[in-house]
Amino acid sequence: MSFVVGFLAAVTFALLSPALQLMARARGWTVAPVTLLAIAAIITHGLGVMLGVLVVAQFQYWDAASIFGFFVMGYVFAFGAVYKSVSLDILLGLVGRSERKAPLSDIVERQVPALFQGRIGSLVDSGLVEPVGSHFAATAAGRTMAGRVGQLRRAFGIGDTSLYDFSSD
Amino acid sequence: MNMLPGPAQAAAIGLSAVLPLLLLCYARIAATGGSGRRYRLACASLMTLYAIACIALPGQRHLDDVIGGLFLLATAMMFFYILFSLLAWGFTLTLLTALDKAGRPLTLEQWAVAYMQGGDLGTFTHNRLKLLVGAGMLTIADGKLAPTTKGVAVARLVKFVRLSTGLG
Repeated sequence: MSFVVGFLAAVTFALLSPALQLMARARGWTVAPVTLLAIAAIITHGLGVMLGVLVVAQFQYWDAASIFGFFVMGYVFAFGAVYKSVSLDILLGLVGRSERKAPLSDIVERQVPALFQGRIGSLVDSGLVEPVGSHFAATAAGRTMAGRVGQLRRAFGIGDTSLYDFSSD
Repeated sequence: MNMLPGPAQAAAIGLSAVLPLLLLCYARIAATGGSGRRYRLACASLMTLYAIACIALPGQRHLDDVIGGLFLLATAMMFFYILFSLLAWGFTLTLLTALDKAGRPLTLEQWAVAYMQGGDLGTFTHNRLKLLVGAGMLTIADGKLAPTTKGVAVARLVKFVRLSTGLG
């Protein structure tokens, strides 16, 4: 029965989370989508625990938490996969065309540079990068974050190109 | 309410904390290969250790305890994968680190070159396209790209996920 409570809490999360994302966009909230996911997870986990305590005589917290965590993380995983994927953006761009075909040069010269500029816009909006005339420079916060990312990459033996390694992957 | 995890669940919680440590260790062994392969190896190691723990722990195993432990392990694997993939393949993060590494303000074009470490956005595009072609979602013929049936199905799934998660 505790598993059922955890599952119900996960279903509530799957309903509350998109509602929060839509509300944030409609009302112009400046809260990051990931923060909204965290808020939805905390609220629904709390509601699940309350329901379990009230309804189940011998409520097993970890049974409920395990299934809740699994489905919520699956949701976040799917969310992250489609949120800002360059590969999927290219695929969606192609499928969205009426003829469902595009010259390779069009993707290289138009779509990818547009994605590139979009991401630069995100970095500027989040205060990590600032425009300096026609140039761009990392802010103090950007340099701190870049330093931490570099440390983590070195520790985990990850290269700094973000390219997929088809030879050894 | 019982806040104490069962023995298998406790083992899963402990093993979840071990996952980043395993990744740190495997990073020092060249034979473990690239980032993706190393992550899969760490997950396989974790599952093996969990199976051993389920057999070796004293007392009788209860199915709900073992299943709960599996859910906890899978949760940890997905959680760390999200962070690990951001570090390994994150486009925006790498743009930031490339700019920081340059040590001076860059124009858009210079930034693209710095990001590709001397290459250009064409190299980056080909790398991402190779993934789509390798997964059977795209074909390239006569300099033109076209989605396969699988690619169209994946695109529809992505649109559905975007809609149902409120991303639009």
